[in-house]
Amino acid sequence: MNALRNSILAALLTACLLTLAAPDAHAQMGAASRGPATQANGASAAWTPQPSVSISSVNASAPAPILINRRVVVLDPAHGGSDSGAQISDTTVEKDVTLALAFRLRAMLTARGFTVVMTRDSDAMASPTPGAGELTLDDRAGVANHAHAAACLLLHASGSGVGVHLYRSELDAAPGESAVPPWLTAQAAWIPQSSLLEGELANALTRSGIPLVTGRASVRPMDSLTCPALVVELAPADEDVDSMNRTDYQQQVARAIAGALLVWADQVQAPLRLSSAAPAMNHPGAGSSGAGVQP
Amino acid sequence: MKDHLQEGSQPAPSSPHVSVIQEIQRRQRIVFWCLIVCIVAMGVLLAAERHRERKRIEALADQMPIDAPTAVEETVTLELASDADGTLRPETRQIALPQATNARVKALLDHLLAYYALPDSAHALPPGPAVAEVFLLPLPVVGYVASPLPPGAHSGTDSGADPASVRTTAPVSSSDPNALQPRQPGGELAVIDLLSSWVNQHPSGVEVESLTLRSILGTLHANLPQIEQVRFLVDGQTRETLAGHADLLRTYPTAHDNAMQTGGNDPGPAKE
Repeated sequence: MNALRNSILAALLTACLLTLAAPDAHAQMGAASRGPATQANGASAAWTPQPSVSISSVNASAPAPILINRRVVVLDPAHGGSDSGAQISDTTVEKDVTLALAFRLRAMLTARGFTVVMTRDSDAMASPTPGAGELTLDDRAGVANHAHAAACLLLHASGSGVGVHLYRSELDAAPGESAVPPWLTAQAAWIPQSSLLEGELANALTRSGIPLVTGRASVRPMDSLTCPALVVELAPADEDVDSMNRTDYQQQVARAIAGALLVWADQVQAPLRLSSAAPAMNHPGAGSSGAGVQP
Repeated sequence: MKDHLQEGSQPAPSSPHVSVIQEIQRRQRIVFWCLIVCIVAMGVLLAAERHRERKRIEALADQMPIDAPTAVEETVTLELASDADGTLRPETRQIALPQATNARVKALLDHLLAYYALPDSAHALPPGPAVAEVFLLPLPVVGYVASPLPPGAHSGTDSGADPASVRTTAPVSSSDPNALQPRQPGGELAVIDLLSSWVNQHPSGVEVESLTLRSILGTLHANLPQIEQVRFLVDGQTRETLAGHADLLRTYPTAHDNAMQTGGNDPGPAKE
């Protein structure tokens, strides 16, 4: 009888120890399984844990690594629903152009083996928060952040200029990502990767003969994204504003971007994970220029 | 004679035409005197109104400012945006600005944004008032906590209240490492409260919205360098974007090293 009781206690103790030792695995599984709004399945998304570096001297509890699903791309067709975006012409509004471009880009990326997460695949998407109405900009950022994507592209359209305009965040780069990144400046740790992604897309678009403009801008919700993020603004192909609706033009742009992302998937690196002991945003840009400050 | 009198007493036979004339003349006399009465009454009324208006103006004169306006024209630099090439170019103007810093900022922005409403503007923006109010806060922004008065401190009242129950406010610096910090001593944060009537008509687009904000920031930095950071409100409330793109939730530095890296529309290699 004692032997049976001892064996039961030993089994319970072992189960408890296993439960205590497994939270990281549960967290990883939870992060990978949190559902984005819309997924187009290509190849299975493989996540890659990146090594973490603590800038504190010795920290017994090492921070969890930052995950990147190299074969996952987030597309955010801007606007939608009651938010039409810019009135590009008498018959064209921005939300329709961004959705059309997103569909073409999703098809191209899926064909290349990517899993594409779209924040909306119809005119308006409901917010995941019950009773909250339409998808908000913060909801879109949440969807994108849960995907741990290799790239997050915010698709916009404009009737001014020609070609494609690429914008990355105006935040100053942070040396790493804190355990709890500030929501309004979460992109700061990913600025170097966003800059590299911008260069990759710029090269591809230039090789395709598409007029290109690059710059920096503060566009919601880019600064809240924890992934390499860019605003891709589609402008007309020529003087005719309605040329941005041409199928061949959008296909050309989507093909160039998809090709660049195929190369990018092998290059992307997650930023360093700062330990919780380190200041969250204690980098020169945060306090000096104010660009990375959290209001 | 009798016959004459008798004959004369009888009214002379008159034609109907003559009686009508006499009747019209009687009515004309009535109208004439009525008009005279009206003219006199209007004259009296006019004189009374004139007297009352003079008294009102004299009363207003008492509320006039004692000091004459002293604002003189100053040379200011406006950072004017151009949608054609997506750039800002400085341009000097002579405008009169008030002395108070808040009012100077508002006047400067009113002048800048009114320029964009002109028909030949290179960065067309809606006309009308745009800025409701400007608030300036010294950096670093501090909070205030309620704390009991130290023992022996004078509470400022003679009511005999328990000193422990009397609380005061004391400024405290934020423990947040990301709190707003000045770059130079005396740096200020400007909170610009925009009017929704103007914001709702602002053109939508990444570049056009960014140019508007950069033009505001650049103009403030050129003329009021003590303003280091700017936040925007719309009708006193926070708002996510200006017109669907530019972020209005963040705090903008007025002096940004990369403020003008938004490229132009020239096809070709990237502008950075």
